[in-house]
Amino acid sequence: MKTILVVDDDEAIRTLLKEELEDEGYQVLMATNARDALKAVEQEPLDLVILDIRMPGMDGLEALPRILGLKEGLPVILNTAYTQYQESFMSWAADAYVVKSSDLTELKDKIKELTQT
Amino acid sequence: MTVALKEVTTIIMAGGKGERLFPLTRDKAKPVITFGGIYRILDFTLSNCLNSGIRRIYVLSQYGSFSLDQHLRQAWDVMHPDLGEFIYSMPPQQIMVNRWYRGTADSIYQNLNLLERERPRQVIILSGDHVYKMDYLEMMKFHLNRGADLTVAAVMVPRAEGGSFGILKVNAAGEVENFLEKPQDPPGLPDNPDFSLVSMGVYIFKAEVLVAEVIKDAKKKTSKHDFGGDIIPQMVGRKKVYAYNFQDRATGAPRYWRDIGLLDAYFKAHQDLMGQTPVFELFDPDWPVRGRPQLDPPSKYVGAGSRVTVEDSLIASGCVIEGAVVRSVLSPRVRVGAGATVSETVLWDGVEVGAGARIQQAIIEEGVRVPPGFIIGLDHKRDAQRFHVTDNGVVVVPNNAIMEE
Repeated sequence: MKTILVVDDDEAIRTLLKEELEDEGYQVLMATNARDALKAVEQEPLDLVILDIRMPGMDGLEALPRILGLKEGLPVILNTAYTQYQESFMSWAADAYVVKSSDLTELKDKIKELTQT
Repeated sequence: MTVALKEVTTIIMAGGKGERLFPLTRDKAKPVITFGGIYRILDFTLSNCLNSGIRRIYVLSQYGSFSLDQHLRQAWDVMHPDLGEFIYSMPPQQIMVNRWYRGTADSIYQNLNLLERERPRQVIILSGDHVYKMDYLEMMKFHLNRGADLTVAAVMVPRAEGGSFGILKVNAAGEVENFLEKPQDPPGLPDNPDFSLVSMGVYIFKAEVLVAEVIKDAKKKTSKHDFGGDIIPQMVGRKKVYAYNFQDRATGAPRYWRDIGLLDAYFKAHQDLMGQTPVFELFDPDWPVRGRPQLDPPSKYVGAGSRVTVEDSLIASGCVIEGAVVRSVLSPRVRVGAGATVSETVLWDGVEVGAGARIQQAIIEEGVRVPPGFIIGLDHKRDAQRFHVTDNGVVVVPNNAIMEE
């Protein structure tokens, strides 16, 4: 079973993603902020990270290179309500950039694509 | 087509350990090794920037970064921050990732936040250990006119000598078709088949292409994260990569460029500075090279009864010469005692050569005192017991050398 880490400060989003992704057969771990996410990346065997950008403390764009520094090659999907971060060089290191939507099709497709080995 | 300089970010790679220049790099960064008496190798690239009108420069440092910072402060404190000008030294920040620079490409990856802050259109990437005089804006024009993703500066060498370099295979339009690291049979130029194009390690990238490529490279486990070895080969054939031939416009001859990567190259490049019409001219009012400002008295030649000879040499200020100096380069405050002979030798700051000593084909680091009557460079077997002797027979005397009286 593939394990996905969901990093988001919004509880509603975490709950939604957990339910939906577990239905799809993934194991889902959750972190409410970037620092906890880095700990999880270091300690847990993960297949993919779904990373929110706007979070208090360390934001997703700051966390992204650190995640990649800890686990080279670990796929990361930036998942944000905003489109403008797509312009930032810092977001380019992610494997995908998915704008949050009530329709999770795009996110699920990307997850499937990036966890296939 | 032009580019506003504020849309350009210039980055000089100056972090390498320079192990092949040991022992000169034992206690300092390679780019700040003394060169040509009063310069450090890095001064040539920085002077090129200044002479090209570039006044916003990041110097990426790592190994021996203090020696580099010190030199930037002492010799290059010439920018006006309130006009947006700067020379900043950037060792690994450990902010984005928790590691040293793994290679030249990784050093850019680790500073993506800097490029994000600047948002340049073009990025000039230079090396801190080359000796040459080049107008980077001429290259920029070439790069923009072709709408290139990457332009690599390259210099022609006879094909037979191309086997020890990174060679660019180009088509008639100057587009790079292949990059070959130390090829057995280097390809010639379409219009000049006896010559091959050697990559100079001088690059201009479209900023967004650079960012995408270094990110891609950072994720590659097999990569050594090097521009020459990884980034350029991965771009050729996929992106618009051009070679900018660094040649004399009037004659078509290759311009002077040297990579000071080896002790013998370091020594040989010094020979290029000397004579009536040197291969590499420092006396060039159109292209001044800035070194560390010196406040020494004028050099003096003192012949108290004995003959003083100085031939085909470069003598910095503050030297006192009582003996003979031939085809040599002397840094400030060097003393050559009566009856001593110094030939084909590079003496760094404050070296004292005792009376009657004989030195030939040597590089002597700062502050070394050569005892009276001491002989260096005439008996390589004996020299090798004490000092490092290069393949070409150049003796290197480090600043911690002990020589009995």
